[in-house]
Amino acid sequence: MGSQRAHLWFIGPALILMVIILLIPIVIAMGLSLTDYSLGNQGAAFVGLENYERIFTRSTYEKMFVATFRYVFVVVPLTVGLGLGAALLIHSLGRIGDLYKTIYFLPVMAALIAMAIVWEFAFHPTIGVINSTLERGCGSFLEAWHWYAKGCARTFPLWLNDREYAIWTVSFIGVWQGFGFNMVLYLAGLTSIPAQLYDAAEMDGATRGWDRFRLVTWPLLGPTTVFVVTISFIRSFQVFDMVEAFYPQGGGPSKSVYVMMFAIYEKGIQQNLMGIGAAITVVFLGFVMVLTLIQRRLVERRTHYV
Amino acid sequence: MSDVIQQDTPATTFRFNTRAALTHAVLIVGALIVLLPFYTMISLSLKAPHEIMQQTGGFMGSQQPFRDDFCVKLGNAVEDCLVNPIIYNYTTAFEKAPLLRYLLNGVIVTVSIFVIQVFVALPCAYALAKLRFWGREAVFALVLFCLLIPVHAIALPLYIMLAKLGLTNTYAALVIPWTISVFGIFLMRQFFMTVPDDLIDAARMDGMTEYGIIWRVMLPTAIPALMAFGIFSIVAHWNDYFWPRIVITGNRDLFTPPLGLREFKGDADGDNFGPMMATACIIVTPLIVCFLLAQRRFIEGITLSGMK
Repeated sequence: MGSQRAHLWFIGPALILMVIILLIPIVIAMGLSLTDYSLGNQGAAFVGLENYERIFTRSTYEKMFVATFRYVFVVVPLTVGLGLGAALLIHSLGRIGDLYKTIYFLPVMAALIAMAIVWEFAFHPTIGVINSTLERGCGSFLEAWHWYAKGCARTFPLWLNDREYAIWTVSFIGVWQGFGFNMVLYLAGLTSIPAQLYDAAEMDGATRGWDRFRLVTWPLLGPTTVFVVTISFIRSFQVFDMVEAFYPQGGGPSKSVYVMMFAIYEKGIQQNLMGIGAAITVVFLGFVMVLTLIQRRLVERRTHYV
Repeated sequence: MSDVIQQDTPATTFRFNTRAALTHAVLIVGALIVLLPFYTMISLSLKAPHEIMQQTGGFMGSQQPFRDDFCVKLGNAVEDCLVNPIIYNYTTAFEKAPLLRYLLNGVIVTVSIFVIQVFVALPCAYALAKLRFWGREAVFALVLFCLLIPVHAIALPLYIMLAKLGLTNTYAALVIPWTISVFGIFLMRQFFMTVPDDLIDAARMDGMTEYGIIWRVMLPTAIPALMAFGIFSIVAHWNDYFWPRIVITGNRDLFTPPLGLREFKGDADGDNFGPMMATACIIVTPLIVCFLLAQRRFIEGITLSGMK
């Protein structure tokens, strides 16, 4: 191949695959979302925006949005906050901190489906370690806490099978799994901050830890934070494994854990209602793309002054 | 008085520092919560069913042989059916389902995905970073746009396409959607930008083809970045549950480890917690071991990705 045309061979395969695997499916999803298509049927009827109308009016889908946003708005702040907190503490310890770094990163490496099954066992109302540990605290000062006393008097929550607790329990597992990833990204950000900046800040009178954090660390971690927040949003929007493992049918007690990816799976794959599944897909893609575009805007703006 | 002595004793080796102690205390509490499910998983995989149900036996269980009721049901004498919990749990994990086959499938799928991703992404990244041609900006813009698309989100149309081609329940279905990694292209392009042009010009002077330059000049310089990407890719696809769940329906020969574990859970009654946890341990261990061995590389890799 001559070097004049070499680029065609280099770009070609990637370009073709990008179009077939990433772009065409989006077009197909958009098209199908306007129909009542089912796999195996001959053709499909055009139904206009009916699928979207359903998504934004039916109570099932209201529950879907509530569950998804609850999960996302618990998991994103907590994974980012804990990730940053852990990174700062570990960074302050120097080399001894490496052990913690390793431990906190373990959940990121472990298959979530496996760990979800273990957590399900830990949260088991009768034989799980969580409730049996809580029961051991009964009769102690902890009973001063109203919630605890109630648990001792009757029973502690059913966690994953309680409508009031299920989504928060799932969110907890999400936080447990995700914050180590953010911690590593923040640690990378922290090590790239030049030590002279701290010296300079100290000479300018920033002697307290908080001042140094506010004046040096936090601004310089800006780009890291933008990236970490976005990737946390995208990851948590895609929560599925745990929900399917805990609630193979129906999305949890009273559909309280009926997150979007599970809805797509249930409608499209389990019930073969491709039209409505495709419509949820399009709405989902909309969310994710808007978030990423906001992130890019922020990065561009920040780079001007950092 | 004691304070003075403390300061005079070898203060350089160990000085009690309230702040560091507090830091350690917080981090240790965190570590305990992080490790709790790992502890539970390993512990349950070692214990007998009645110990699991009654929460006795501590971490290891008593390791007393117990009666395997299923074995008794098959008409064997009770004495022949006494089994050691660890052996029972781990052998059941392998016998009840073709776990070895699942593990092999996992290796086949993750390795194929990574190899194809590299063969597709590397030349593209090189062209985007180092070659000048008409439309380069447009292609790069497309890459940036595609970075917005999570492949899981477009699972339904991909599934329909594969179903129309009759490819569901094949290895191809597990691999095809992941053959293109725009993140890989982006990452490698950023890395190649830092490779000096002189190196490439020198290679061209020596009469190397563009293709040779990619594999014999660029690839060796990119090993750290490639390792970082490889770790990302392999971790993601070994652990992936969503996509196999969609395209593999019922054909156990094609199950990946997560699907195998999920199937186990589906028909687990109380007696099966031990073997199920043994399966979970077996599935989780390979990546954890790799991570522990190549930890520094991993962290370095993420720093490299230029996402700071």
